[in-house]
Amino acid sequence: MASSGLGDLEREVMAHLWDAGVPLTVRQVHEHLSGARSLAYTTVMTVLDRLAKKGVVRQERADRAYRYAPVQTREEMTAALMLDALGATPEGPARDAALVHFVGRVGPEGAAALRAALERAGSRS
Amino acid sequence: MTTLLLGGLGLGLSLLVPEVLARARWTARAPGPSVVLWQAVTLASVLSAVGVVLVAPEELVRALDTGPDVEAWVLVGALAVAGLIVARLVWSTAGVLLRSQRRRARHADLVDLLGRAETGALQHPGGAPLRVLDGPLPLAYCLPGRAPRVVLSGAALQALTAEQVQAVLTHEQAHLRARHDLVLESFTAVYQAVPRPLRSRVPLESVSLLLEMVADDAARARCGPAPLASALCAMSTDGDLSTHNLSTHDLGPAGRAARRHDRTPQDDRRRRVGRLQRPATAEGSLRASVLALAVAVLVLPTAFVVAPWLAQALASLPPLPGW
Repeated sequence: MASSGLGDLEREVMAHLWDAGVPLTVRQVHEHLSGARSLAYTTVMTVLDRLAKKGVVRQERADRAYRYAPVQTREEMTAALMLDALGATPEGPARDAALVHFVGRVGPEGAAALRAALERAGSRS
Repeated sequence: MTTLLLGGLGLGLSLLVPEVLARARWTARAPGPSVVLWQAVTLASVLSAVGVVLVAPEELVRALDTGPDVEAWVLVGALAVAGLIVARLVWSTAGVLLRSQRRRARHADLVDLLGRAETGALQHPGGAPLRVLDGPLPLAYCLPGRAPRVVLSGAALQALTAEQVQAVLTHEQAHLRARHDLVLESFTAVYQAVPRPLRSRVPLESVSLLLEMVADDAARARCGPAPLASALCAMSTDGDLSTHNLSTHDLGPAGRAARRHDRTPQDDRRRRVGRLQRPATAEGSLRASVLALAVAVLVLPTAFVVAPWLAQALASLPPLPGW
C-alpha cells in the first residue's frame, strides 16, 4: 500500500502548507510532520515534488533554498473542483465529457453561486 | 430506390424518432430497456448513413449503365467515404474517452488531496471509496474509472439525514457498477461526430435522465422510495436562487435561451421525484416490448432494405479478376 501511504502524506503536506499561509522549505515541512514518527527527509522532498508536478504547489527559490506554497487557497480549490464537477468550467471542449452523475443536477443558478464564492475567495487572498 | 429508403430511414431515425422518443412518457416506466432502445436507434441511424453512402453510387452507376471500369471506381470511392464516416466515429469516441478519462483522473487527484476519506458507516462495503469535500453546495456525484470514487459535499451531509445519505450513496454506486459513464460517452461521441446541421443533444440528454432513473430504481430497491425522493428535493438548488438572489436576468442571454428551449434540471428532478412517489410496478411486458422494439429497429432495416439490395448488387457485380 505504498502508493496510498504516499497519497495520505500528500494530503498532510497540503494541509500543512495551507495552514502555514507562507511558503515553507522542505526542512520546515519535514520538521512539522516528523514530530511523532520517523519520516525521511527525502520522502518529504519527493512528496513536494509530486505536488508541484500535479500543479497544486508552486516552487519558489529564495535565500538559496526552495520554498513551497499552494497555488490556490483551500476554498478556491474546492470551488474550482465543484465547478469542474458541474461541467461549468470555461474551457469548452472539456464540457463534452460527462464527468459525473448527480443526484440533483445543479442548474445554472448553482454554478453561478459557486462562481461567486470562488470570486469572493479569490478577492480575499 | 434503396438509396431513398435508407436515406429516409436515416433522417427519420436521427431527426424524427428522437423527438418522439424524448417526449414519450412510457420510457420512464422501463428506463433500462429504453436506454437500449436509444442505443439501437442511434446505431441504426449511423448504419443507415453508411448504407446510403455505399448504396447510392452503385444504384446511380447501374441506372446510367456505364461500363464496368467506372463501376469499379465508383465502388472504391463509395467504400472510401463510408470508411471515412466510420473513422470519424472511431476518432470521436477515442477522443471523448481519452479526454474524460484525463479529466476524471485529475479531478480524482484533487479530490484525494482536499477531501476527507470516509471509512465509517457511510462507506459501502465493496463499493468505491467515499470522499467528503467541504464545499458550499449540496453535491453528490461519482467519478467512474479504474479507481472510482463517490464524492459528497459537506453541505450535502448536513442537509441530509442518515437514511437519505444511504439512498444517495446507493444511487451513485449503481452508476459506478453499471458503468453508466460508458453509455453516456458513446452518445457524446456520436453527437460530436455528426455534422452540425444534423446533430442534436436530445438523445444525450434523454439517455442521461433515463440513466438517473435506472440508478434511482437501484436505490429504491434497497432503501425504499421515500429517502431518495426527499433527498432529491433537499439537494435541489432552488434554495440558492433565493439566498443568492439570482434571477434569470443574471444568467445572461445564453442562460435565458437555455431555459426556454431545454428541459431544466428542475423538470428532470420533478419527473424523477414523481416516479418515486408512484408505487413501483414490475412492468415486465413493457420492458420486453421495448427490448423487442430495440432489436426490431436494428434488424428490420437490414433484413428488408439492405439484404435485397445486396443480393441484387452482387448478382450484377462485374466479374473482378481473381474472384
